[in-house]
Amino acid sequence: MDAEGHKAVTDERPDAQPLRTQIVQNQQTIDRLNRDLARVSNEVRVIQQISREITSTLDLDEVLTIVLQAMERVLGFEHSMILLKERAADRLRLAASRGYEPSGVGVEVAFGEGVIGVVARRRKMIRVGNIGASVAYLRGIRARLEAAGQLPSGGDATTLPGLPAAQSQLALPLLVKDRLVGVLVVESPRPSAFDELDEVLLGIVGNQAATAIDNARTYQMLESLSRLKRFFSPQLAEAIVTGGADDPLKTHRREVTVVFLDLHGFTAFAETAAPEDVMGVLREYHEQMGKLILAHEGTLERFTGDGMMIFFNDPVPVDDAAERAVRMAVAMRDRVTALSSQWRKRGYELGVGIGIAQGYATIGAIGFEGRWDYGAIGTVTNLAARLCSEARAGQILLSARVASGVEALVETDEVGALALKGFARAVPAFRLVRLKPAT
Amino acid sequence: MATLPEEIKAAMQGVIPSHVVTCARDGTPNATAISQVYYVDPEHVALSHQFFNKTVRNVRENPRALVWVMSPQTFDTWDLEVEFDHAETSGPIFDVLDMQIEAIASIVGLKGIFKLRSADIYRVISATKNVSERIPLRDIVEPRGGR
Repeated sequence: MDAEGHKAVTDERPDAQPLRTQIVQNQQTIDRLNRDLARVSNEVRVIQQISREITSTLDLDEVLTIVLQAMERVLGFEHSMILLKERAADRLRLAASRGYEPSGVGVEVAFGEGVIGVVARRRKMIRVGNIGASVAYLRGIRARLEAAGQLPSGGDATTLPGLPAAQSQLALPLLVKDRLVGVLVVESPRPSAFDELDEVLLGIVGNQAATAIDNARTYQMLESLSRLKRFFSPQLAEAIVTGGADDPLKTHRREVTVVFLDLHGFTAFAETAAPEDVMGVLREYHEQMGKLILAHEGTLERFTGDGMMIFFNDPVPVDDAAERAVRMAVAMRDRVTALSSQWRKRGYELGVGIGIAQGYATIGAIGFEGRWDYGAIGTVTNLAARLCSEARAGQILLSARVASGVEALVETDEVGALALKGFARAVPAFRLVRLKPAT
Repeated sequence: MATLPEEIKAAMQGVIPSHVVTCARDGTPNATAISQVYYVDPEHVALSHQFFNKTVRNVRENPRALVWVMSPQTFDTWDLEVEFDHAETSGPIFDVLDMQIEAIASIVGLKGIFKLRSADIYRVISATKNVSERIPLRDIVEPRGGR
């Protein structure tokens, strides 16, 4: 290299300074892009891992936990929550959160309310980095409008879930095709905490999460549907899982009319007859009784061999529970009378005894994980069962409460006070003679 | 080369209010603080138009304006020479601005009262970083993680 060339590099020419600044700036830009690239490739790798995890389970809680853990582990978001859309309403419910005390789970947000509600309504992502400043600005405007009498005075619209001092929020609609499943939210007490890259990364996780959540919820729904269909009519089971009716498996207290029936002579019959014949008789009996239960909109609580317990007024409230119970019991008695004449030809002596009582019971899921049953607990069920065992074949015994409730409808005989197992005092009972002819 | 550098985006999240200087047709200047200058693309920014005010009126008569923004992370500031291009009352940019305004308005009980009239789109003629104003911030850690 000659002396001239060497001199050109070291000599400070007057126009060299801006060039040098430009070079430094370019280098800074390249460094920043490299950092971003490293961040993206690392995060994309972890996101692939997450998507494998969340698509390999159908447990909703597990899916939600994985997604929220990923928010912190991969993206460094300390405060995140998932709200799910309610099935039958334009409303979200906080399903899981991370980084909040209290968790806020169960809090509801109406569509259009706050950042989250607006995201749900518009089904579009939102990124706000200046909530504090914007809220303060708009409160100022509200105060001016109120002072000018252009607006009735009032406070902030509603209490919304999240950090009380959130400055930044990134909220993403969870969509499966065009259907809103829920909203994924991350927030920070720092202003401007999220950038465009966060939007992209959150979007990828969000898409995976939406599908996984939807699958888990569908599975959960089908499972509870099949469980509910064991106790309730298909229509009611559907109504319950789609949110159109309260879940009757949640413990609650209600006045019900309870009908107990069993086949007298069944034990002796089962001991002597061939198992095929026993099953045949039971099937015929159950099928016929089942039709009558459905026709009177009763709830079959349980089968115990030849016994059955049916409620009225739960889970569907009816204002004529006692009347329905009595009409059903009479129809059952008539049907079994017809059946037993056929059975008699085959040599089986069977007849039905029925007990009906009314009163408050605690109703809900009874049992343990994996084997839940819908059931009722209360004196009323014991009373109905005892009256049933007191009833002779072809008899329908009513408690005093039921008898007085259906006075206008049926003729009864007073049986007198019965000493029943489990009852300290003798219990008055009435025998149903017949339905009064319609006037 | 893009007029707006990538790093200016942090200054366009509305954390630190921005300033806009406009002139009426007769040259009377007007300076005002606004809550947010929105980044549209490397050549354009948007200002929200909720109320009819002097800025809105001025740029429709005399489109040139000067915008000052500051990054809340580095406290770098920029002067932008801009020119009012057009007002949008629908479309993706309008939606983003409108959605943010609706969200915040619903928090403070102004749902449906405080509304976006238009997203005013400005073309950026130049962006100058005010290097001399920069405060040395050796102690400020790169704001990543722990959000």
